[in-house]
Amino acid sequence: MQIIEEIKKNELLSNPSEIQKICLDKLKLNPLPNAKNELWRLSNKSKFSSFLDFSHKNKESKASLPYKKNSRNIIRLIIGEHNAINLEEENYSIKELKDSEIINYIKKNICNFDQNDHWSDLLNHCLSSKKNILGLNISGNKIPPIEIFSASSSESLNAKTLILFFEKNCKVDLLQINLGNENSSLSQSTYLCLEANTSVNHGVVSYGKNKSNLLNSLNVIQKAKSEYILGSLHFKFNYARFEIRINQLEGNAKTTIKGIQITKNNDQIATYTNMQFNGPNGILDQINKSLADDKSHAIFEGSIIVPKIAQKTDASQLSRNLLLSKYARIDTKPQLEIIADDVKCKHGATISQLNAEELFYMRSRGLTLAEASKLQLSSYFQEIISCIPVSKDRWDLLDKLLKEN
Amino acid sequence: MQSKTKVLDPILEINNLFASTEDLPILKGVTISINPGEIHAIMGRNGCGKSTLSKIIAGHPSYKITKGEIKFYGQNIQSLEPEERAQSGIFLGFQYPIEIPGVSNLEFLRVATNARRKFLKKEELDTFDFEDLVKEKLDLVKMDSAFLSRSINQGFSGGEKKRNEILQMALLEPKIAILDETDSGLDIDALRIVASGIKKISNKQTGIILITHYQRLLDEIRPDYVHVMSDGQIIKTGESDLALELEKHGYEWTDNFLKNI
Repeated sequence: MQIIEEIKKNELLSNPSEIQKICLDKLKLNPLPNAKNELWRLSNKSKFSSFLDFSHKNKESKASLPYKKNSRNIIRLIIGEHNAINLEEENYSIKELKDSEIINYIKKNICNFDQNDHWSDLLNHCLSSKKNILGLNISGNKIPPIEIFSASSSESLNAKTLILFFEKNCKVDLLQINLGNENSSLSQSTYLCLEANTSVNHGVVSYGKNKSNLLNSLNVIQKAKSEYILGSLHFKFNYARFEIRINQLEGNAKTTIKGIQITKNNDQIATYTNMQFNGPNGILDQINKSLADDKSHAIFEGSIIVPKIAQKTDASQLSRNLLLSKYARIDTKPQLEIIADDVKCKHGATISQLNAEELFYMRSRGLTLAEASKLQLSSYFQEIISCIPVSKDRWDLLDKLLKEN
Repeated sequence: MQSKTKVLDPILEINNLFASTEDLPILKGVTISINPGEIHAIMGRNGCGKSTLSKIIAGHPSYKITKGEIKFYGQNIQSLEPEERAQSGIFLGFQYPIEIPGVSNLEFLRVATNARRKFLKKEELDTFDFEDLVKEKLDLVKMDSAFLSRSINQGFSGGEKKRNEILQMALLEPKIAILDETDSGLDIDALRIVASGIKKISNKQTGIILITHYQRLLDEIRPDYVHVMSDGQIIKTGESDLALELEKHGYEWTDNFLKNI
């Protein structure tokens, strides 16, 4: 963990920016998250340390994209590669944020960061250079679908930051793809701010190659009457953490979270969600699914926080899990913290195996065990995948990837 | 009892079959032989082993054959997987058809039909050709094509599920069909539709086993033989009038036969 040693000795960066300096100061005393903290307790130590094994000083990443951009009606951006963007169309505009806006926004956020809760973001801001921070202001309601890629390069630890401001009445489909290269680590921190009356359909698809690692942190602020839909899929990582923090700042907003993580071999993939209602009449509909095979380990921890101000909150959090091998492990912990007294909140968790009677039914019609299992698994994915804003040609690729994995 | 069609080789022969699940004996020496063109009815109290027999023929992995054999066209099928049995022409119509959310009924039917066609060395059907075929078969059971776009049996009424089973039977064109309480949960009209579908699908080369509690199905489909099962055994075999006797006297009447075994 060379990076941690460098942070301790103040040798990580020779000429740190203002933000990097603040984050380094925060991390210097306790450079690693507390292993006893609930958010880090189940994290595999050796895998976590393998995340930090790569140098951040190596080559910059160059994304090898999984498919060509075959439609002009898609806005494609790659964080870290030159994508100066300044679109001013009749129905919408997409403009890059000024450096000062980015700095002020990150500074405002990090001053409240707890070292354990936001360790991934603090590390990201220590390592993410100006080139690897993409900030956009998006407005309008006939915006073409937006695709944003982040990638790591092999034998490296790459940090990428994305900040998106969605102006009032904005409506958009956003697909974020995180690509892990062989023997690499990717730190991705994302901030989304949804102004009133916005509707964002956000897909996050993260997949790696042999021995890739990922720390993926997503911070969302929702103002009144906004709707945020998140569909996420994480697979093929040696070690991955997806941290989701959503704050309904004024209540009267709607959030949908549908996520799935697929673990195989000896992988560990974890999803942590924190849903904060800070006003009345907030709605949450959340389902998280895990599918664990071989000797892998999937983790889900979700918390819903409903303070007194958040009366009439209606929240549902379900964790559904499939164990495909007797050596695989799934830990799941959906939690509610409710102070308000006039709310509807429910949570639940199930862990099961492929349904033997469903399999027999399909086999009794001539489908092989492998075909029947595949159909059953694809139906298991379907509920989540249908939430990801992916067009048909991209869906075929995703389908192929899922079948291969 | 001598077979009415004894000149033909049987499609299915079950000889002195003993079977158990989790060490609990359920079948205790069942023997039946089904010739081409024959319709057999199996009746008996709840829990006597009728459904277990049907599942064992289809290859359900939860049951273990401890003695005896099942032959399909003279070949012992004990070592065959459920899908191999289905592909070769054994069809089980489920008493409680399983709901499988998220799996499209149309896609499932297409994959199943092509698995059978592959076995029969027939050309597999693409989506368009299959849609033509399935629409033709839908008429047999008076089903709306909207059912095809839904998930397998999800949200179907009891009658719709049973009709979906007969639709599958029509597509798979089995050599032997075991229909486990296909009549349960059906109103009079639905029963007639299902019975008419079964009659249209069956022919002189196929065999049918109807597992039922009620005469009303047998009024629609007249069986060649009726078997009464009790405690894992066939205790009486007769022609179709045996079902009428059973309807008249109830199962207590058959207890005497058990004592004589």
